Amino acid sequence: MKKLLWGISAILLVCLGLWGLSNKLLQSSAASGNHKLIIYNWGDYIDPDLISKFEKQTGYRVTYQTFDSNEAMYTKIKQGGTAYDLAVPSEYMVTKLRKAGLLEKLDLSKIPNRKYLGKNFIHQSFDPQNEYSLPYFWGTLGIIYNDKFVKAGSITSWNDLWNKKYRHNILLVDSARDIMGLSLASLGYSMNTTNTIELHLAKTKLDNLGSNVKAIIADELKMYMIQNEAAIGVTWSGEASEMLAANKHLHYVVPKPYSNLWFDNFVVPKTAKNPQAAYAFINFMLDPKNAAQNAEYVGYATPVEAALKYLPKSVRDDKQFYPDRKLVKRLEVFKDLSKSKVQEYNDLFLEFKMYVH
Amino acid sequence: MKQRHLGARLYLIVLLLVLYLPIFYLIYFSFSSGQNMNHFQHFTWEHYQTLFNDSRLLAIMLQTLLLALLSGLIATTVGTFGAIAIEAARSKREKSSLLALNNVLMVSPDVIIGASFLIFFTALGLSLNFGSVLLSHVAFSIPIVVLMVLPRIKEMDATLIDAAKDLGASSYQVFSQVLIPAIMPGILAGFFMALTYSLDDFAVTFFVTGNGFTTLSVEIYSRARQGIDLEVNALSAIIFLVVLIGVLIYYFLSVRSSRTKHNRRIGVKL
Repeated sequence: MKKLLWGISAILLVCLGLWGLSNKLLQSSAASGNHKLIIYNWGDYIDPDLISKFEKQTGYRVTYQTFDSNEAMYTKIKQGGTAYDLAVPSEYMVTKLRKAGLLEKLDLSKIPNRKYLGKNFIHQSFDPQNEYSLPYFWGTLGIIYNDKFVKAGSITSWNDLWNKKYRHNILLVDSARDIMGLSLASLGYSMNTTNTIELHLAKTKLDNLGSNVKAIIADELKMYMIQNEAAIGVTWSGEASEMLAANKHLHYVVPKPYSNLWFDNFVVPKTAKNPQAAYAFINFMLDPKNAAQNAEYVGYATPVEAALKYLPKSVRDDKQFYPDRKLVKRLEVFKDLSKSKVQEYNDLFLEFKMYVH
Repeated sequence: MKQRHLGARLYLIVLLLVLYLPIFYLIYFSFSSGQNMNHFQHFTWEHYQTLFNDSRLLAIMLQTLLLALLSGLIATTVGTFGAIAIEAARSKREKSSLLALNNVLMVSPDVIIGASFLIFFTALGLSLNFGSVLLSHVAFSIPIVVLMVLPRIKEMDATLIDAAKDLGASSYQVFSQVLIPAIMPGILAGFFMALTYSLDDFAVTFFVTGNGFTTLSVEIYSRARQGIDLEVNALSAIIFLVVLIGVLIYYFLSVRSSRTKHNRRIGVKL
């Protein structure tokens, strides 16, 4: 029994030591109470140096939490019991959160640096007055191809995917809105169409793509493209920038006539305990120098136009990820559709998938 | 010792290889200078350096350990008393129904337990933090401890307790000097099982983390969206090494103690 008690106290002592040590590691600057900021962001989606810099500048202590999907984040915020001061959902999730009444209105006067944001990236349909959200990163849907199998520059539009040459050589990302959207775009219809006839035409055209499709997959697409397993992939620019870094033979194009434009956005959930800190952080991240540093670390495109001059020329002039303004203007942002329309998109996409396999 | 059959040996070797190769593969690439596990480039300590500079990941690792130890301790205490209570149950029916209730918790999927905890905590208005994770880890560890301790109590000679009482021991003395020492191996095994379960758990933790507390498994899962960093390999290598050393120490200690016991027995006979 004595031994047991010794054992218990030893474990408790170790626990105390671990607690102290972990607190010391987390506490880069001593602060408490009103000086805490809890950020809820995608995994590995910020330069950690910027967090330390922010803590040093403002005295806030940042707690950084991560999620892996918009839906997981939505559940955590909706369930309550959390006190995230800042979250970074994608644009359709901003709409969903707003409709569920889970977002705090932003006090824009506290975020003067929003003036550095590019005109193309604010006042979007999902939040026309930017009352609830400000953009963090943006990107496009496009085609990534391997110049070992495809002549460089030969792919410029969605219609090129239907070329008989690429039989059994295309990987598609498993996303109903995006894949239906590319077919709609190739026909010249809006990617947000609610017209059933247009949707069925797009699906019929997609069916003809079937023999060219090698697989419809999710995250594995990145790995397969890097390992030269397929000639062509359809995916998002953020993913593409990582693939390009890993394999020199890969190229990314935003196809004609137009494509999808997506955003990840700062929002302040209703459950926030310290919105002031959240505003300070948004303002800090929109500062051109910080935005540039972050964009270089993460590899996605920053909406802070004034940040471009701090980016290396090779990044800034990369038409693959910073397409020129004319093209950006033609890009379409996904609108939040009614439940029955979303179902229609999903059903048609499912039919297509069954046809392929 | 009898020579083992060649086929049996081969089978054992292949099995161990299959179990260990993935881990060694992971560790091997923690020394590669590349950014992914496609090709080994050249040897470097770079990933270990980034790991030791990543105070957030290290803190999470420590917190995960802290959580495992603390929840293991609490669960072992509760579970041991639970096992004693089940064994002491008056009717056979009561005993088996208690045991069945215990086993239901063992068998039910983690996802369901996690989701029910999330709903439960938020309904009570508890905020999701270290406390909520600790409570749920304790809860899913208790059934395991009960199952580890119960056989020991069953094996124990019940006359030992009667004898102790005959000799004038108080109930506390019976408990602390007869019962506990007799079931000690079961308690230890239960504690280590609870520890492993807590370290392992992803599904339950995933639901109940929030507000500045997270565990290693949840954090690595969130990071995996962008492809797993080789930093994680380095971390895995270190954890593997620590566990290996721990198991080796435990092994040598148990070998030594069993040897001394053996000698003593022979000494008595002589």
